[in-house]
Amino acid sequence: MLRFIVQRLLILPVLLILFSIIVFWLVQAPPGDFLTSYIANLASGGSSIREEQVEALRQQFGLDQPGYIRYVLWMEGLAKGDLGYSLEYQRPNAELIGERLVLTVLLALFAFAITWIVAVPAGIYSATHQNSLLDYAFALLNYVGVATPNFMLALILMWIAFAYMGINITGLFSPAYEQAPWSLERFVDLLKHIWVPGIVLGIAGTARLMRVMRANLLDELNKPYVVTARAKGMSEWALVLKYPVRLAINPLVSTIGWMLPQLFSGSLIVATVMNLPNIGPLLLRALTQRDMYLSGSILLIYCFLTIIGTLVSDILLALVDPRIRMEGV
Amino acid sequence: MNKRFLDHALLVLAVVTLLAVIAACAPAPTVAPPTAAPPPPTAVPAPTTAPAPVATKAPATAAPTAVPAAKYKEAPMLADLVKAGKLPPVDQRLPANPIVVEAAEIGQYGGIWRRGTLGPSDFNGIARVIDDALVIFSPDGGSVVNKYVESVTSTPDYKSWTVKLPKGAKWSNGDPFTTDDIMFWYKDALQNKDLMPSLPGWMQNKDGSLVEVKQVDDVTVQWNYKDPHTTFLFELANAEYGDKNIPCFLPSKFLKQFHVSYADKAALDKAVADAKFKTWAELFRIKISPYDTPERPGMAAWVAAPGSRISDQIFKLVRNPYFVGVDKAGNQLPYLDEVDLKFFADVNSLNLAAIAGELDEQERQVQLVNYPVLKETSQKTGKYNIYLWQSLGGADADVIFNQTYTKDPDIGTLLANKDFRIAMSYAINRKQIQDSAFLGTGEPRQPVPKKGHPYYPGDEYAYKYIDYNPTLAGQMLDKLGLDKKDSDGFRLFPSGKRVAIELSVVAVFGSYPDIAQLIAKDFQKVGIQLIVQIRERALHFSLRESNDLMAEMWNQDTAGFPFTGSTKYDVRSGIYGNITYGPLWYNWVKTGGKEGVEPPDYMKQMMQLVDHAKTVGPADQAKDAQQIMKLWVDNMVEIGTVGLTATDQGVVVVNAKMHNVPQNLTKDWPLRTPGNGRPETWFFTQ
Repeated sequence: MLRFIVQRLLILPVLLILFSIIVFWLVQAPPGDFLTSYIANLASGGSSIREEQVEALRQQFGLDQPGYIRYVLWMEGLAKGDLGYSLEYQRPNAELIGERLVLTVLLALFAFAITWIVAVPAGIYSATHQNSLLDYAFALLNYVGVATPNFMLALILMWIAFAYMGINITGLFSPAYEQAPWSLERFVDLLKHIWVPGIVLGIAGTARLMRVMRANLLDELNKPYVVTARAKGMSEWALVLKYPVRLAINPLVSTIGWMLPQLFSGSLIVATVMNLPNIGPLLLRALTQRDMYLSGSILLIYCFLTIIGTLVSDILLALVDPRIRMEGV
Repeated sequence: MNKRFLDHALLVLAVVTLLAVIAACAPAPTVAPPTAAPPPPTAVPAPTTAPAPVATKAPATAAPTAVPAAKYKEAPMLADLVKAGKLPPVDQRLPANPIVVEAAEIGQYGGIWRRGTLGPSDFNGIARVIDDALVIFSPDGGSVVNKYVESVTSTPDYKSWTVKLPKGAKWSNGDPFTTDDIMFWYKDALQNKDLMPSLPGWMQNKDGSLVEVKQVDDVTVQWNYKDPHTTFLFELANAEYGDKNIPCFLPSKFLKQFHVSYADKAALDKAVADAKFKTWAELFRIKISPYDTPERPGMAAWVAAPGSRISDQIFKLVRNPYFVGVDKAGNQLPYLDEVDLKFFADVNSLNLAAIAGELDEQERQVQLVNYPVLKETSQKTGKYNIYLWQSLGGADADVIFNQTYTKDPDIGTLLANKDFRIAMSYAINRKQIQDSAFLGTGEPRQPVPKKGHPYYPGDEYAYKYIDYNPTLAGQMLDKLGLDKKDSDGFRLFPSGKRVAIELSVVAVFGSYPDIAQLIAKDFQKVGIQLIVQIRERALHFSLRESNDLMAEMWNQDTAGFPFTGSTKYDVRSGIYGNITYGPLWYNWVKTGGKEGVEPPDYMKQMMQLVDHAKTVGPADQAKDAQQIMKLWVDNMVEIGTVGLTATDQGVVVVNAKMHNVPQNLTKDWPLRTPGNGRPETWFFTQ
C-alpha cells in the first residue's frame, strides 16, 4: 500500500508538467488573445481604443513575445510558487484565488453534506422498502432532480423568491456583511443565504447518489449471507447497516476523491447565475476574457487536485473494503 | 484654552451650517441662499473665449466677489472630521473660487448610491460615474463645461489654448492641484517611451511632432499647436482615465515615488519586486489607476475608499473632502456619501437586482429586453422610475459591407457596388425590426446625428433609402446582372454561382442575432442569401482586422463626434473598434499608398473634411460634418436600420427617492454618461 502511494506521488510531477503544457496550449488555443478580447470589450461598451494604446498594452502584458517564452516564464514563476499575474484584474492570481477559496470550499462542503445526508439514508430506505409509496415518491423526485439542469433550478428559485417574496437571493451575504471581516454575525448571515445555492448544487448529486445507493443495496439484500444472518435472528437494521450497506457504499466512496477538485472549482454555471463570489465565475471570466495566466493557474490546480483526489479515493476504498487492499502491489 | 474655544467655535459653525442647509433646502421661495445669486451660466470669462468653438461655461470664474468667505457648507460626516481635527475646515479645502455646478434642486447630504458593475473589465462604467476630466460634456452633449478648471480659452486663430486651474484646488489627500500635475503628465508620462510608446493623435501636430505644453504659472498652462486646432475641448474632455488612457493631469507628488526619474532606485526596485512586476512602468500604470490603487489621490467627487479596489465584491467610492464643486447655495458637492459598485458575475443577475429595486441608479448593463418588466414593476411597487435616455443619433444596428473584400472577386465587386448596397437598404423591413427587437423604441433611420443636432444633415438624408420596398430592390438587383435565380429562388452571379453573403454578428448589443435573422429573411425575399454567423467577439475582431469579413452587424455611436476619437466616419481611425467598410483602404492610407487599395474619391473627400473641420470654428465644423453625413448616406457605407432606441445604456432605473437625475440626458461614450448628468448633484430624500 505504502509503495503504491509513493509510486503515485513520484509520477505526480511528470503528470503536472504534462498537464501544464496541455492547459497552456488550451487556454491560448482560441484565436486572439487577452488584448483582442479587451479591445472587443471596450468597443462593445461604446468606446474604441486608440492604436498607440494597443501597442503599449501589448508590450505591457508581454503578449508580443512568442508562446513558448510565455510558457517558460509562467513555469518559472510556478516553480517558485508564483501563480502569475492576472491581466484583467491586475492583481496576483494567488491573491484572487485565495480570497475566494474559503467561500468556495464552504459552499461545496455544504452542498456535499446535503447530498450525502439526504441521499444515503433515502437510498437505504428505498432499497429496503422497495416499491413502497415513499420509494416511488423518491424515484419521482430523483428523475426530476437529474433531469433539471441545476442552473435552471437556480433561475426558478430566484424567480420564485423575487416574484412571491420580493427578495433577490443572489450572492452569499446581505449588503451589510458583504465586505465585513469574518465574525459570528457574518457567519450567521452566510448561513441565511447559503441554503439556496446549497440546495441547488446538492440536489442533482443527491438524485444520482440515491439511485446508485438503492441499486447497489438491492443487489446485496438478496444475497445468501443476508438471508443467513436474518435466519440467525439478527435484527433487521443492524444487519442492513453492518453488511450490505458497507458493500453498497463502495462505488460512492470511490467517487469521494472526485469531490476534491469540485470543492475547489465552485460550480461554474450555477455560481455565475447566482452571482456567488467563488472560484467558478472567476474561471469562466478568465476563460472568456483570455486572461490566460489566471485560467491556466486555476485549471492546473484543478488537475493537481484531480490527481490527488483519485489517490485519496483509492486509499479510502482500500480502507472501507478489505477485498481491494493491495497487499502485493 | 485655545483649543476649547476652537471646538466651541466649530460647534457653533456646524450648527449654523446645519441650519443653513435646512434653510437652503426649505421650499420657501423667500429664503435666499446665503451665497449671492450665481452669475448667469452663459457668462463668458474672458473675451478670448468668444471665438472658441464651444466656450466652456464658467459661472464661478465670473464672480470673484460672489461668494463671501466662510460661507461654504459641507457634509455632516466631514464636519465631524473637521471637529475632530482630522480635516481642515471646508473653506480651506475648497479653492478660492469653487466651481459652481448647475442642478435642478438644492440637495441634502447623505446616502449610498448602490450601483452594479460586471467587475474589473467593466472599468469604463466607473469612468462614466466619476467623469474625471478637466472639462466635461454638458447634459445635452452640445457643449463642454468646466469640471476642475476655471476656464479654457483659445487665441482667435485656435492655435493656442490656455487652461486655467482654480487657485487653491486640492487633490483628495490635500496635496495642491497645480499645473505641476499637468506638466508631470506632459514630461514624465506622455514623453516617456516606457509608458507611452507613441503619441496620441491630439498631442501631435499635423507634421507628427509633439504639441508644446507650456507652464505659465501655478494655475495657468498653455497648449500650443502649430496649426489651428478646434477640437481641443472635445479631446480635453476625454483626456481622462477612460479606456485606461493616462489622464492629462496626474497627482504628481504621489506618483513621483513610483516614477523612475524621481524615485529612489533601491526603493522603487523593491516596490516593483514586491508587487511581482518586472518593470517600473507596470507598477506605475497600476499606481495611476484610481480603480486599483485606493491611496492614489483623485479630483473626482468620489474616490476609492481605503483599501477598496475594483476587483472587490463591492468597490466602495467615498466622497472626496476636497472636491472643487459646490452647488448654487454654496454646499460642497457631492451630496451622496458613497457609491457602492457591486460586482455581478453575470449580466442577468445584475438585471435581476435592478428589477428588484436594489440599485439606485443604473443604466449600464441594463438590457432593453427587461424594459417591460422594469416598467411593470416600477408601476406596481413605486420603488423606482424608468427613464429612457437617447444618444446623439447614429443607428443601433446596421449592416456594413466590406467594400475591399478580396477572397471572392464576384462578392468583392458586388459589395463595392453602391447600387447593390442601396438595393439592400430598400430590402430591409425596418418597422418590423423596430417593433420586435427594439420594443418600439427609436425610429427607422440612417446612421446620422439626431434632428436638432448641429451636424444633422436634414430629413432627406436621415430617412434616405429606408422605405421597405422589396420590388424596387429586386429591380435594382436585376439591373446589376443578378437576374437569374436558382431553384431555391436565390440570385446567381453570371458565373452561375449563388449570391451568398456571410454576415458576422457578435451577440454583445441586445438582440443582434435576432435582428440579423430578420434581415436574412428580408434579403431572402429579394433573392439574396444572407448567412448569419454568430461569432465570439474576439474572433470577429481578428477576422475584421485580417479583411476576412464580408459583412458585419455593428452600431454607429460616433455620430456626434465625426472628427475626434476613433470616429467610425474616418477610415483612418483604424480597425481597432472601427467597422469593416474598408480594411484595405485603411492599409493604403496607413502605408502612404504602398499597400492596400486606394480609397474612392468620396472616402478621400471625407478625410479632407475631417482635417478641415479640425481647423475651423463651430459653424464651419457643422457644415463639414453635414457634408460627411451626406456622403456617408449617399454612398450607403453603412446601412442603418433603427436608431435612437434605448439599447445600450438607454434604459435607466432611478430610485424614486433620488433627485436631480435628468429625465432626458443625452447618452454617449464620449459624454461619459451618466457623468454628464452630474451625479455629484444627485441626492436622496427621506
